[in-house]
Amino acid sequence: MPLFPRPASAAKQPAGRPSPGPSRRTRKAGAVAAAVAAVMALSACGGGASPQNADGTVELRFSWWGGDKRAQLTQEAIKQFEAENPKIKIKPEFGDWSGYWDKLATQVAANDAPDVIQMDEKYITEYSSRGALLDLSKYDIDTSKLDEAALNAGKGEKGLTGIPAGINAATILANPAVFQAAGVPLPDDSKWTWEDFGRIAAEITAKSPKGTYGAAAYGTDEASLGVWLRQNGKSLYTSDGKLGFEPGDIAEWWAFLKKLSQDKAVPSASEVVEAEAAPLDQSGLATGKNGMAFWWSNQAPALEKASGGDLKILRFPTKTGSAADAGLWYKASQFWSASSRTKHPQETAKFINFLTNNVKAGEALLADRGVYPNSEVRTAIQPKLTPADVKVVSFIDQIKDELGEAPAPPPKGAGAIQEIIKRYTSEVLFERLSPEDAGKKATDEMKSAIAS
Amino acid sequence: MSAISELSSLSRRKGKVTAAEKKANSRDNKAAYIFLLPWLVGLVAITIGPMLMSLYLSFTDYNLLQPPEWTGLDNFIRMLSDARLHNSLRVTFTYVFVGVPLQLAVALLIALVLDKGLRGLPFYRSVFYLPSLLGGSVAVAILWKQIFGTTGLVNQVLAMFGIQGPGWISDPSTALGSIILLHVWTFGAPMIIFLAGLRQIPNMYYEAARVDGATTLQQFWRITLPMLSPIIFFNLVLQIIGSFQSFTQAFIVSGGNGGPSDSTMFFTLYLYQKGFGQFDMGYASAMAWVLLLIIGVFTAINFIASKYWVFYDD
Amino acid sequence: MTTKLETLPAPDRKSAGTGKPTNHKPRVRESRGTLAFSRAQRGKSLMKHGILILAGGLMIYPLLWMVVSSLRPNELIFREPGLWLNSLEMGNYTSGWSALTHPFGHYMLNSAIVVIGSILGNLVSCSMAAYAFARLQFTGKKLFFGIMLLTIMLPFHVVIVPQYILFSQIGWVNTFWPLLVPKLLATDAFFVFLMVQFIRGIPRELDEAARIDGAGHPRIFLRVILPLMVPALATTTIFTFIWTWNDFFGALIYLTDPDMFTVPVALRAFVDSQSATSWGSLFAMSIVSLLPVFLVFLFGQRFLIKGIATTGIK
Repeated sequence: MPLFPRPASAAKQPAGRPSPGPSRRTRKAGAVAAAVAAVMALSACGGGASPQNADGTVELRFSWWGGDKRAQLTQEAIKQFEAENPKIKIKPEFGDWSGYWDKLATQVAANDAPDVIQMDEKYITEYSSRGALLDLSKYDIDTSKLDEAALNAGKGEKGLTGIPAGINAATILANPAVFQAAGVPLPDDSKWTWEDFGRIAAEITAKSPKGTYGAAAYGTDEASLGVWLRQNGKSLYTSDGKLGFEPGDIAEWWAFLKKLSQDKAVPSASEVVEAEAAPLDQSGLATGKNGMAFWWSNQAPALEKASGGDLKILRFPTKTGSAADAGLWYKASQFWSASSRTKHPQETAKFINFLTNNVKAGEALLADRGVYPNSEVRTAIQPKLTPADVKVVSFIDQIKDELGEAPAPPPKGAGAIQEIIKRYTSEVLFERLSPEDAGKKATDEMKSAIAS
Repeated sequence: MSAISELSSLSRRKGKVTAAEKKANSRDNKAAYIFLLPWLVGLVAITIGPMLMSLYLSFTDYNLLQPPEWTGLDNFIRMLSDARLHNSLRVTFTYVFVGVPLQLAVALLIALVLDKGLRGLPFYRSVFYLPSLLGGSVAVAILWKQIFGTTGLVNQVLAMFGIQGPGWISDPSTALGSIILLHVWTFGAPMIIFLAGLRQIPNMYYEAARVDGATTLQQFWRITLPMLSPIIFFNLVLQIIGSFQSFTQAFIVSGGNGGPSDSTMFFTLYLYQKGFGQFDMGYASAMAWVLLLIIGVFTAINFIASKYWVFYDD
Repeated sequence: MTTKLETLPAPDRKSAGTGKPTNHKPRVRESRGTLAFSRAQRGKSLMKHGILILAGGLMIYPLLWMVVSSLRPNELIFREPGLWLNSLEMGNYTSGWSALTHPFGHYMLNSAIVVIGSILGNLVSCSMAAYAFARLQFTGKKLFFGIMLLTIMLPFHVVIVPQYILFSQIGWVNTFWPLLVPKLLATDAFFVFLMVQFIRGIPRELDEAARIDGAGHPRIFLRVILPLMVPALATTTIFTFIWTWNDFFGALIYLTDPDMFTVPVALRAFVDSQSATSWGSLFAMSIVSLLPVFLVFLFGQRFLIKGIATTGIK
């Protein structure tokens, strides 16, 4: 596969663009392709990026996903930035998760990407390895106060293309009300094992009214698999962009899930599938139908609000019964990235630096995108946080010494992995495939997804 | 509106031409192209370019972020061994061949009932059309789950009779069925078209038939069906085209993943996942053109068959 | 619309001139009404009402649930089953209306601009193209018609990117133009085809008669065909309204500035898959956004009924 260096400067020179030349084309497609190539070349030189106005003010487009609450918090941060930098105007663009990615891909394809882009771990390699994101290490952004593992997640072959906007940890959230109603004590999460987890969950199910289960099933995202693999000395991905596990490893994971399902520790197969498509506030944990569930730490406050009661944040169980072996890590909940085609890289970097390191930004954004990655800002804004947010921050601080090595960043094509996991999880739960067969098929599919 | 006034002034100028044409009575190219002008401009300026571009992209490796690279027939060859694609074709064909006849039959039946002869028809029409107003609203997924979920309305009713129903939308064996039902539920659009078509049938046919003592059923077979046939044909053609491309309902109900276990993975949903989810727009474009070919064949069959059952008054 | 109806005497006169029996009995309903005296008939119509109410209730149960839910406090929506309301909670409407950056009316206004432009565009451009396809003989007719059908057969996901490139080149991103101009240029082949089918259902003698009287094509189109295809125009209006009003993807892609958001995009702002969704506000605003569509439907169906059957031609 030939390399596609697509430096930002090439954008201005359509001639330098490696579009397929007429000589290489087959004759029959010639006429059509020529017309098409002309259109594509046009798209390369147009550049929809923000103009510089006559009075010297620069306009930056800033795009993120999320609901309306996030929009309001973020707009407050923008206001603070504009007050400090009257020559820079920030134009917000936002939308919901799935639409956001369709739109971003379209904009990048048309060379019309926003300058500042909120990026997710799932897609960052996709965009950065193909040269769509700016190497931020070349610009003036202070990263000294950031957690290293989270910062590393934004580094790739094209340099530092994402600055963590918040940090997360994989957790199990427990609903004490469900435990209490079933008369089961909450586990000691510093020394519980997966067997304990299964036993406790099954006990809750047995002692609760019909329709309530001890735990939600795992297997709907890559986080729980990642933790499991790390506890077994494997990993989701290797640092050279391959799968870090064998079919047998993932089969074991599914076999345990199947056992949980047979013991009724987790809901029936169809309820698990329904829960997958349900939004957060309709999940079993929020509606009081599950005693425990697998979530990222930054989702705890929203779940707590939806459940209408208190939730407890627990560490993952381990194989050994020692929390030091839990294999957790600080994940960047999302990143700040910049388009490699931005016409104002300095100003863009300035804005990202503001979002990352300025207390005023922290006071505006609070914990909406996860725990603030800058430890100084984190401390400074603590008094302004809600009790639910404080709970998350203290959990993050609490596990600091138990963390494992930072995982390798997901390779290109990793955006498809979660969907593959989900699909084979339901194949296993509906008993259409044995865990072993699912393991083989899933790893084959994953391999080809990240190889291309 | 200005276009209309322009046209009426045109009509004054064109009086002589039409008089000459009346004699020839064969071709009216000039008039035709004037009428077609907006459409032609749209075709050339907006529609054809992107279509041809997607055709070109189907022969390339194109990940949206970098320029496309010519790979010849690679994408099409890959499709031959793509098991998920074959599954999505199976799902889509089932949907088309069960969903379309079912929806059209329901729509025609309700349209006949709501056509005339009863008080309060405007009200009933609106009620029956209401579900179709929802379109691809985000609320649909929630509504559907309230009814067909594991603890939804249907299963609550079944439980009264001591039956434990499956999770209709989450069990791989019933999920497609519940999406087909959702499709049938939104029969409003074809129903309206049928209603409008029924209104175009001249009354005198029915009156003449009644004078001859024809029964209601005979009137339906002898008058309504043949007179409505152009509209039935329209609905059939468009519903088949639309159903092959069906996307929104499965997208919304399954949360975009075509699950459970790919049982509601429609062809276009898979195409969308490939193109936007996995950055394989070249492959997605190739899939799109294969679908176009499939739809084209079915539409052509439809048009050929229409010569034997569709009745035009010209 | 009404002005077009006033032009009716023209074809009427023509049909009388060709010696066709003109039936001036205005409505079928009345002629059947005389039969409704018998008890059997009344029982039958009562039964019909019963069936319709039952079926209609089933059809709109999900919508009723949505209405009821919008009147419940947010935290009770998924806890309380059924349609019973313990208290009326209007809070969702007031808070939903002002929850977003702009009051919800702002987004409805944006939608209204797009919708009205789209309707006008579709009515004018599609009916012109349809007239050419249905009534005129011209070189390349079959080819063009085939191309037109082809344009609706290609899944739209693969033309989004090329089309976006096109519009961003013109500098139309973040304006309403990419949503309006295609409609002005008859790119909605669905409606062209729909109108073709309707025009072909209009007896040819009517335009022959007008032609003999020396009318040119523009005149025939405006004075004979358009008034007779009011049901098709009403159908087009209703569908364009609903489909444009509900169009999420186009608005999502082309409108980046939150000030420009249309209703479906704004509604998504209530849904946050990663944190809490304000369901009460979402349902409340969904219902508010359904109201205009519903009203247009109620109003528009009057025109659906105004077919040949009621105008008494032929």
